[in-house]
Amino acid sequence: MADVYDVVVLGGGVNGTGVARDCALRGLRVLLLEKSDFGVGASGNSSGMIHGGIRYMLSDRKVTALACRDSGYIQRIAPHLLFRIPFLMPFASRREGATLRERAAWYATEVYVGTYDLYQPLKRGKPSTRLTAEELYAVEPGLRPGLAGAVTLDEWGIDAFRLCVLNALDAEAHGAEVRTWTEGRELLRGAGRVEGVRWRDVLTGEEGEARAPVVLNATGAWSPALARRNGARVPMRPGKGVHLTLDRRWSNYGVICSAVDGRQIFLMPHEAESIVGTTDDDFYGDPDDLEATSDEVEYLLEGAASLVPAVRSARVTRAWCGLRTTIFDYGPNEDALSREHQLLDGAAEGLAGLVSFVGGKLASYRAQAEEATDRIFALLGRPPVPCRTHELPLPGGDELPDPARLAAGGLVAAPVAARLAYRHGSRAREVLRLVEEDPRLGMVLCRDEGILAAEVVFCVRHEKVRRLQDLRRRCRVAVGACAGVDCARVAAQLAGRELGWDSERIRAELADLLDAGWRERRAILDGAQLAQEELLRGATGPLEVPW
Amino acid sequence: MARPGALAYLAWRALVAHPLKRLFKWRGTGLDRFRAAYVAEGLAPAEPARRAAAEAASACISCGLCETGCDLATATPVVRALGLHAAFRLYSRTTMDLALAGDALERCAGCAGCEALCPTRVPIARVLAALRGGGVGPGRGGRPG
Amino acid sequence: MSGLLEADVLVAGGGMAGAIAALAARRAGRAVALVRRSPGATALSSGAVSVAPDLGALAGEPLASRRPPLEAAARLAAARPDHPYAVVGTARLGEALAFACEELAAALAPFDDRRRFLATLYGSAVGAGLCQRANVAGDLLSVRGLLAVAGFAGHAGFDARLVAGGLGRYVARGGPEPRAVEVALPAGLGALARPHELAGALDAPGAAEALGDALRAALPAGARAALLPPVLGLDPGARAVERVAARAGVPVAETLSDVPSVPGLRLWRALEARLAAAGVRVVQGELAAAPAPGEPVRAGDAMIQAPVWILATGRFVGGGIARRGVLAEPALRLAVQAAEGREAGVHLAVRPAASLTSRDRRRPQPLLSAGLRVDHALRPLDERGRPVHPGLHAAGAVLGGHEQATDGTGLGVAILTGYLAGLAAAEGR
Repeated sequence: MADVYDVVVLGGGVNGTGVARDCALRGLRVLLLEKSDFGVGASGNSSGMIHGGIRYMLSDRKVTALACRDSGYIQRIAPHLLFRIPFLMPFASRREGATLRERAAWYATEVYVGTYDLYQPLKRGKPSTRLTAEELYAVEPGLRPGLAGAVTLDEWGIDAFRLCVLNALDAEAHGAEVRTWTEGRELLRGAGRVEGVRWRDVLTGEEGEARAPVVLNATGAWSPALARRNGARVPMRPGKGVHLTLDRRWSNYGVICSAVDGRQIFLMPHEAESIVGTTDDDFYGDPDDLEATSDEVEYLLEGAASLVPAVRSARVTRAWCGLRTTIFDYGPNEDALSREHQLLDGAAEGLAGLVSFVGGKLASYRAQAEEATDRIFALLGRPPVPCRTHELPLPGGDELPDPARLAAGGLVAAPVAARLAYRHGSRAREVLRLVEEDPRLGMVLCRDEGILAAEVVFCVRHEKVRRLQDLRRRCRVAVGACAGVDCARVAAQLAGRELGWDSERIRAELADLLDAGWRERRAILDGAQLAQEELLRGATGPLEVPW
Repeated sequence: MARPGALAYLAWRALVAHPLKRLFKWRGTGLDRFRAAYVAEGLAPAEPARRAAAEAASACISCGLCETGCDLATATPVVRALGLHAAFRLYSRTTMDLALAGDALERCAGCAGCEALCPTRVPIARVLAALRGGGVGPGRGGRPG
Repeated sequence: MSGLLEADVLVAGGGMAGAIAALAARRAGRAVALVRRSPGATALSSGAVSVAPDLGALAGEPLASRRPPLEAAARLAAARPDHPYAVVGTARLGEALAFACEELAAALAPFDDRRRFLATLYGSAVGAGLCQRANVAGDLLSVRGLLAVAGFAGHAGFDARLVAGGLGRYVARGGPEPRAVEVALPAGLGALARPHELAGALDAPGAAEALGDALRAALPAGARAALLPPVLGLDPGARAVERVAARAGVPVAETLSDVPSVPGLRLWRALEARLAAAGVRVVQGELAAAPAPGEPVRAGDAMIQAPVWILATGRFVGGGIARRGVLAEPALRLAVQAAEGREAGVHLAVRPAASLTSRDRRRPQPLLSAGLRVDHALRPLDERGRPVHPGLHAAGAVLGGHEQATDGTGLGVAILTGYLAGLAAAEGR
């Protein structure tokens, strides 16, 4: 393992993995270091949407155009990961009978969204339309009475964790070296420039140095701390965003709601669940220690229930948080901050060659990565190479398998095949091959999520799994409503067998997995989910018998 | 903050371009256009009766007691591996895979023996019956390409 | 639909607490009706009957130095005044446990005040106060020498090496030397069989014998006992464990289970069978809009009238306590007490969930110990601390002050409080 590279990328979120892929595809020697697992920051804890940023259409038109165009590209390279979510923006009047002003406002909304339609072809969106009250209730009967109509639009939902993973895997397939659970703590410097990174493997304690003339800092919310440790500055205004997951599709379509303070939030179906989001608050704490508070949970539920009352009786299964890496600006309210991205140069601080990512949107990750890679080429003084990340499919993205045909072989039931097709695209066939070779792996671990034993083994073998909790992000182990009561132990056994864990390690990993889940459930324990928690604690209690 | 140019553009769209679009491009009612856009992709709204049944299934805590009361003798091995009662879990969360569920749903004889075992009162037989009502619910549909 | 069913005692809840209460009242000669809608948490239990952890235990001590269950329970009662053991006192705990073992002799091994160390699927060992017949031979302190830990080849659900590796930690503390082996699945069962299917297959004639033969062939030399996955039969009467052991030539036991639980289901079936044999009138259903003891109440298809009631409806899994925004007891609208830190009381029932929990998952979680407050006669108390009704008692997980899932006292509390409630109800008539 050589330790000289063209560029070291710090951070395994969507920016880091995107840049690593682009650099690798263009022939650079890349090392990607991620101190825990792919997407654990803002990328994975985003709203789970590739959305065009309609909000910024007037103030930041570039952001919207870029996001829409790149959404189109993402569809091309990973069609299996995306699914359409139509959205409704309902109108309500304060009193019986709408005033002229209200009607004007609704018309303005219709026009605004209609203007956004101009961008839709870029991302294969459908044209928006206007629904009357009667039509609105026909398509979304769960809405509260008294609404006057709605404007519709649509966006694309995505599993952001898998997006990061696939980028990283493709980078590796094209020659990049990718290390997870490996922290790049210290920048090596000399003569006013950066010379590389000193890293440490968090799990094994192994240490090493990687030398490179360019270091890309894509550590997201951890950037300011990394910069401070190395005598640099990355100005950022981290914004905490909380989302709730509901256990099933509680609305037919996405619904844009107003929270108690007038902020726009949403309730949307996302694959087999619903997501309510989000908040945006300045955060000054430790990015490794994020938990949703009861207040934030209540804020979101109240806002969603104001339009879809059934949400009050919905089963909330998780509350998860991420930190937006917003560009620093002193003064504006969080929602008003720009979502543009910036690439900051460390030359001013004696760290020439250090490029730091700030801001940005999930939907434009590819374009952001392209820009960063162009900059890296410039810094390296290399002749430019054309970018191809918009053309080449991500692993599994080359073909959309038909679940019914996958299931026809009798190796898996059809709904499980559908889950495999969604998560792995054409590679679903490789997963099924594992079942052919070893029938034991045809066991279904999770009846809630349809996780196959073979899928766990596949992820462990081929998707850079080093800890059990990584499987939460690869194939949704223990993140469904069942919280792991079905799948956690057997997933740990399977991973342990693949990775050579001893009995002690398997138990430790299981405990860590349960800890991760607990952090996401503490604030939402109610109703059936509370009963689920009681069952889970009873079933897993013997894991750590203190006496 | 919207720039003045952008606002002017928006005003033009409101007064000129959008009314013209409504006049010439919008065919049928809003509902027709909505359906044309989404139902074809499988994103049709769920029927209220099925929604009620599906929501009742939220009480499931994955304890597996129901399966011990169900004779799955006639189901294929992979359906049995999934568990017949995955039908009310996987499928009721979203009927997007309902079209794939036929095999499993057919096996239910409606004896409701499973319901007597459920600690959290999921009306399993009724949920399955509602799902068997057929048709497509809120689909996943909408795959690009 | 029959007419009015009159009884001396009405028990709501068909888990361990309710069944023991019903059987105790029956033994005292009363007419008992038991209403239940589903098995509840008892059918999901691991197979162990935990009575009390040894609170003062030091890590790494020899297993034999752990205090026996009755003593441990008395100490726990002294240390935790809110715990049901403290509220009712542990003086009659031994009597209650012995009663339970007599009534459930089909499933439970006889009670002697001895802690049995039973292996779990995680490779840890739980020091249970009572155990099922299927666990007896697996008591770590009773196996001298080599313990074969057998998993099923061809089935991914059970990992013998995980269990054996974990049990190895107890060797220095007096446990046996574990060795992992694999045996073939019972015939006709494939890799996709669920635990209850494996268990049901073993009940059938011939299957347990075949497993015993396979086990015998796989046993390492010098094995003194064998531990198998927790699927050794669903029907206690079919005696699957004994049949396997007979062919294997060594004592055989199963590990404790997680969910889905064959041992839990087996235990519940034993309860059901005993209730029927003892002449308890079992009604399928739940109490509808329950007024008060003494008044007729609809349950399922029946109308029942009894002057004394015992509420043994469980906690969250059982449905006896629920939280929909606030903690409440759905059947009779009794006051629910919760704890937050050092504070406990009914006024905490409205607190947000997060404030009733602690960040460390391993610590006790007050939210999960919410329940009814009762007096020493197990009568639920209202907000002002007075018994709600002289003829109303409660037992089991519906009682507050203990977290039955994890504090190591769950089924012990169910048995003790069920027994005492049953006797109190019988006298009260």
